[in-house]
Amino acid sequence: MTIFATIASVTMRALLGRRRTLLMVLLAGTPVLLGLLVRANDAELDNIGPTIDGFVVRIVLPVVALVFGTAAIGSELDDGTAIHILTKPIGRSTIVAAKIAVAGTLTAALVVPSTVVAGFLLGGFDSDNVGVTFAFALGNLVGSFLYVAIFLVLSVVTSRGLIIGLAYSLIWEGLLSGLLPGTQIFSVREYIGGIAQALAPGAVADSIIGGGGFLYAAFALVIAVVLGSVRLATYEVRGAD
Amino acid sequence: MTPPDATPAAVDVAAVDTAAPPLAQAASAAEPATEPAILLERVSRWYGNVVAVNDISFALAPGITGLLGPNGAGKTTLLHMLAGLLRPSSGRIRVAGQSAWRNPGVYRSIGLVPEREAVHSFLTGREFATLAARLQRLPDPSAAAARVIRTVDLEAAADRQIGTYSKGMRQRAKIAAALVHDPAILLLDEPFNGMDPRQRLHMMDLLRSMAAAGRTILFSSHILEEVERLADGVLVIVAGRLAAAGDFREIRRLMTDRPHTFLVRSSDDRRLAAAFMAEPAVFGTELRENRLTVRVAEFAGFTRAVARVARDASVTLYEVAPTDDSLESVFAYLVSRR
Repeated sequence: MTIFATIASVTMRALLGRRRTLLMVLLAGTPVLLGLLVRANDAELDNIGPTIDGFVVRIVLPVVALVFGTAAIGSELDDGTAIHILTKPIGRSTIVAAKIAVAGTLTAALVVPSTVVAGFLLGGFDSDNVGVTFAFALGNLVGSFLYVAIFLVLSVVTSRGLIIGLAYSLIWEGLLSGLLPGTQIFSVREYIGGIAQALAPGAVADSIIGGGGFLYAAFALVIAVVLGSVRLATYEVRGAD
Repeated sequence: MTPPDATPAAVDVAAVDTAAPPLAQAASAAEPATEPAILLERVSRWYGNVVAVNDISFALAPGITGLLGPNGAGKTTLLHMLAGLLRPSSGRIRVAGQSAWRNPGVYRSIGLVPEREAVHSFLTGREFATLAARLQRLPDPSAAAARVIRTVDLEAAADRQIGTYSKGMRQRAKIAAALVHDPAILLLDEPFNGMDPRQRLHMMDLLRSMAAAGRTILFSSHILEEVERLADGVLVIVAGRLAAAGDFREIRRLMTDRPHTFLVRSSDDRRLAAAFMAEPAVFGTELRENRLTVRVAEFAGFTRAVARVARDASVTLYEVAPTDDSLESVFAYLVSRR
């Protein structure tokens, strides 16, 4: 087993073995529940884009990514278990990459199927809606890893990663990107919208990012991994006497 | 002990003892330049305005050294700096001939047993040791884990989740993980916390055998007796400063022979106070609120004389009690000597 796989395996067990996973499953299931309600009323949406964007992309995905991203390493740094990994001859980038891979995979495993199922339930198998569904599914796949990477870095930088991550999602992405369109180039939500828009035109109302969402997301992911690795290399334990 | 530099402060520290086994001799120009296993040169660490470690220098060679000091003295901060988990605010630290800070490669030579109990509770003891072996890139992680599980006497519970362990068992699991790669340097922060007497003896034997095999072991404790039983040399740290360093017996003697204050109750405190003042071991008495306080220069001399002086003065002793025998007061005395 490689070092990457060893760290990933422990991280996976740590993330799955707690009650929060069940809560995240329930949260990720709410778009499906919404779709079932729509179906139960024999309704079908003409354009599912705004619903998927407003519910899955803006609420479910950031919250699930925030919980897994900050728990992947921030919780271990806070409770001291991270010491057992940090005091081994391992490059810090390996630790960061393994944890992003695991937390991102878990987030995507919950959010992407939820997007697809909810998309079909809300919009049926109309070709436009199917296109939008898969466009958002791909956008959410990319967004899962990027959100997790950003939240993981925040949890390495500060013990208040959860709160700052929430503020990023609510204030920066929710408020500022609407008031100041220029801030959208630093918004994961807008990258996802751009990807969806590029793959299925009309998926979102407007996007200044467009197809550049792929590029922005890739660039931001690399920056996050590098920043996380550098910060972890200079990480100082909390709570010494 | 000989410090790595010749600053006045370091010379004072060194004055305690000059031939303690585990503390490295300074390399002179004529000697071959072999670097000690652990070397600190004028190391300080502060958090804002709070100085946690203040201008500490020492060098350690193979053997067992106890890092002794009261809670909050800076022992954990010092060990964390040695383990590369904290950056020194000033000064230089070398461990196994390398910088410990921002150098994951140094962990091939270091085993760390942190004080905090936190361990991945969902892992079994064996899985935890195997994890450490894998992360050390050992060729046969399972065999290495089995070896250290046996070494720390944890075989019976090795396949139970650590979350079900007692404090002492968790401690042994952490020690197993720290030993799995057979490190040249072992840093242990309060390693005997939570262990029962049998486990404690077993662990002491283990550490002694490792030291005999050429390992450098530094362990912290706030319990004098632990250090006395195990360590060849001792570093006493108080309020972030190195109060004394060297052979344990010499420091123990300093601790015992320091000035003491006794509270005495007797049938005639005033007459007894006058009689005490004739004794060379006594340098002051004070009568206040029907209590006699006696300040003595030397513990042993006074305890030998007190009964005789009372008898000669025809005074009946009711109580003789040292007032400042806490470890903190002993440490404070050692600091004041510097």
